[in-house]
Amino acid sequence: MSNTETSDSLITTDVETGANERSATTDATAVAARDLDVYYGDEQAIDGVSMEIPENRVTALIGPSGCGKSTFLRCINRMNDMIEICRVEGDVEFGGKNVYDADVDPVALRRKIGMVFQKPNPFPKSIRDNVAYGLKIQGFDGDVDERVEESLKGAALWDEVKDQLGSSGLELSGGQQQRLCIARAIAPDPEVILMDEPTSALDPVAASKIEDLIDDLAEEYTVIIVTHNMQQAARISDRTAVFLTGGRLVEYDDTTKIFEDPEEQRVEDYITGKFG
Amino acid sequence: MATDNATDGGFGEVSRVRGIVFEYLSLGASVAGLVALGVLLVYVAIDAFDLADASPEWLLTYFLTLVVPFLAFCLYSAGDRAVTRRALGVLGGGLVAVAALFTAVEAFVVEIPRLSWQLTYLFVVAAPVTAYLAYVGSRGRVGAVGFGLVGRLVGGAAIGLAVGTLFLVFDELVWFLAYTLGVFPAAVLYAYGRWRSAGRAMTAAAPVGLVGIVAAVFLRGVIATYPSDLLIYIWTLAVPIAVVGAVVVDGRGSRIAAAAAGGVPLAVATAGGFLAGGFGVPGPTALIVLIAVGVPTAVYVHRAIDEGDGLIGLGLPFLLVVGALVGALVVEAWGVPAPDPWLDVGFVTGSPSRTAADAGLYPAIVGSVIIIALVAVLSFVLGVGTSIFLEEYTAESGLIGSLTRLLQVNIANLAAIPSVVYGLLGLGLFANLLGLGFGTAVTASLTLSLLILPITIISAQEAIRSVPEDLRRGSDAMGATRWQTTKNVVLPEALPGILTGTILALGRAIGETAPLIMIGAATTVFSAPDSLFSKFSAMPMQIYAWAGFPQAEFRYGVVAAGVITLLVILVGMNGTAILLRNRAERGN
Repeated sequence: MSNTETSDSLITTDVETGANERSATTDATAVAARDLDVYYGDEQAIDGVSMEIPENRVTALIGPSGCGKSTFLRCINRMNDMIEICRVEGDVEFGGKNVYDADVDPVALRRKIGMVFQKPNPFPKSIRDNVAYGLKIQGFDGDVDERVEESLKGAALWDEVKDQLGSSGLELSGGQQQRLCIARAIAPDPEVILMDEPTSALDPVAASKIEDLIDDLAEEYTVIIVTHNMQQAARISDRTAVFLTGGRLVEYDDTTKIFEDPEEQRVEDYITGKFG
Repeated sequence: MATDNATDGGFGEVSRVRGIVFEYLSLGASVAGLVALGVLLVYVAIDAFDLADASPEWLLTYFLTLVVPFLAFCLYSAGDRAVTRRALGVLGGGLVAVAALFTAVEAFVVEIPRLSWQLTYLFVVAAPVTAYLAYVGSRGRVGAVGFGLVGRLVGGAAIGLAVGTLFLVFDELVWFLAYTLGVFPAAVLYAYGRWRSAGRAMTAAAPVGLVGIVAAVFLRGVIATYPSDLLIYIWTLAVPIAVVGAVVVDGRGSRIAAAAAGGVPLAVATAGGFLAGGFGVPGPTALIVLIAVGVPTAVYVHRAIDEGDGLIGLGLPFLLVVGALVGALVVEAWGVPAPDPWLDVGFVTGSPSRTAADAGLYPAIVGSVIIIALVAVLSFVLGVGTSIFLEEYTAESGLIGSLTRLLQVNIANLAAIPSVVYGLLGLGLFANLLGLGFGTAVTASLTLSLLILPITIISAQEAIRSVPEDLRRGSDAMGATRWQTTKNVVLPEALPGILTGTILALGRAIGETAPLIMIGAATTVFSAPDSLFSKFSAMPMQIYAWAGFPQAEFRYGVVAAGVITLLVILVGMNGTAILLRNRAERGN
């Protein structure tokens, strides 16, 4: 199986793939944050973060627990709006528009940005209905079955489920469920896909499949991924942002640079496992 | 210390006395309760069926022909779940089929002297078409039917109303022509268009139908000879129903099942229609009854044979019917005097009477069923709506949050208010203020709905709250509006829990007497209510009234028969509801 080589790379600390394969020429910006502050009640979760995330690249957000990287991710598609005590200051630009402007409808925004969560959360519906969900709510009037097939192929799940599209999504294994969630996210053809620790609830084999998949997804989509797993960030991402406690963005650069020659001592300590 | 004990025989002992005492006390209490209830029911049954007066020979005969085979079957099926399930299903289904047949005959043959065409059409065509649309729209998932149904009911009702109007204005001969010249060609064109994906044929269907219907109106006077009523019925009603049944089943399963679903009821209905003419029953009516009961029976039996498991369970109704027949034959041949049960066909179909022997419960049964059906719809719609609003739409903090909490506390308190008070509210609000009338079915339904609304709301809230937050966030992240998330994700997942609460609440509503007395419901009415605004009585009220009669026959025999009827109907309703809920659970 293909996972032998990838699981080999789990134990190496070499920096490979990702960055090297895609050219590092200057890219258009997909998402940009400017002086972003986020508060939960009185507590500050993100402190003055500014960064530009390039199009059609995999950008990894790493850092210790509670450093605000998931919060940052949820700011991009305004999922933080669901948390009543959450307050956001500063700008998050997507497609040249500040998503926190008064005339932005968060529901319409989320239709352009797919999201995959830490725990696989397929709906208790058939596999087909799961993938077609976004199409259904957006009133897609094309060939739904064709889209479902494309999306499942895009999520490397088609061959495993093509004969059981009518059975429940909950009957799949954990890794398959997560790929189903990815298929669901890409079915409405979003521009950006946000992933919040998508492999942390999975076993290494399932995780390596998802990693391969993320690499492929970057051909078409901008992928922003939060991860706790440093090797994973090194393997799959082109750019890496390191958040440290207090919600500060400490260093943000090409992945090779971050992992081989970070500017900050704290970042090096974190990456080499001296703390975190 | 532990190590010391371990050396001389184990680790010592930990006392479990309290746990064991608790376990057996609980067991004893539940067994005592069940036994007491069982004994009561046996006494009631003995009274209701007059078994105390039965001769030993009679008891022996039926024991051998009915009880022994039944017990043997129970013993046999106890080891095989599939057989038990099948037997229960077919017995329950058989009861429903018999009840449907009886109700249909009762409603259309006896009560209404001559069946009107428009009513028949609504009953036979509009209702199944609506159900079919709902089924297709939900892709067979029961969870979604609830919502698909609301929209499609409106559509179905509109179609039914339009067609019904056609009958009100014109007679069945016009309908015959309109069907033959307009509806039939249009349907064929449409089906052809669907089959060959020819858009033009589908577009042409509507104008062709319209032209045919208009032509029918003008041709009515021109054409002089028409086929008989029966042939019109078979051509315009029985054949389309059979075709729709066949197509529906074909879409779901095997071709043989489709042929059975379409062919068997059609053949039976046609034969029944011609035979019924000879027996003096209005032919078309019998035809409708047969086809309505025949389709589900054919489908069920075929599915049972198809799946193959628990096939022997199908034998139980057969066993019971044959046992009863053989018993009756033996008793007849032997010349044994038979007891005279209080609970017989006359009791279920007759009206109340001054003499115990003629007393019947029919008007009260109809009253109760009408009320419960209305209460179920009202409390489900209002209760689910309120709980969705409270759980999904209100904020948790701020002024709105405080208001919501106040509302919550009040709803919880409302659940504890005595039902007499609700009766008073119904009297003041619905009967007096809104002028819906004293003791009418609609007033009673609204009052009872209010009574159980708090229970429905609270249980629906619990069910909605138990839907994992992950699913909501997943749907939100896809760009779903709150309504889309609620409708597509939350409600289907919460439906089994919501149904459980509604079933429990309905059980309470059907047994209520106090609020009915307050709103002025009659204890005894002599004809079944025929509209929502007619006077009615409910089963518990009628039974209560009988219990106060001076004659002993009423207090012992008739009351017992009433109690058994009430229990059977209650268990039947709850059983159906639980079945529906289980299907919704499996759908998930």
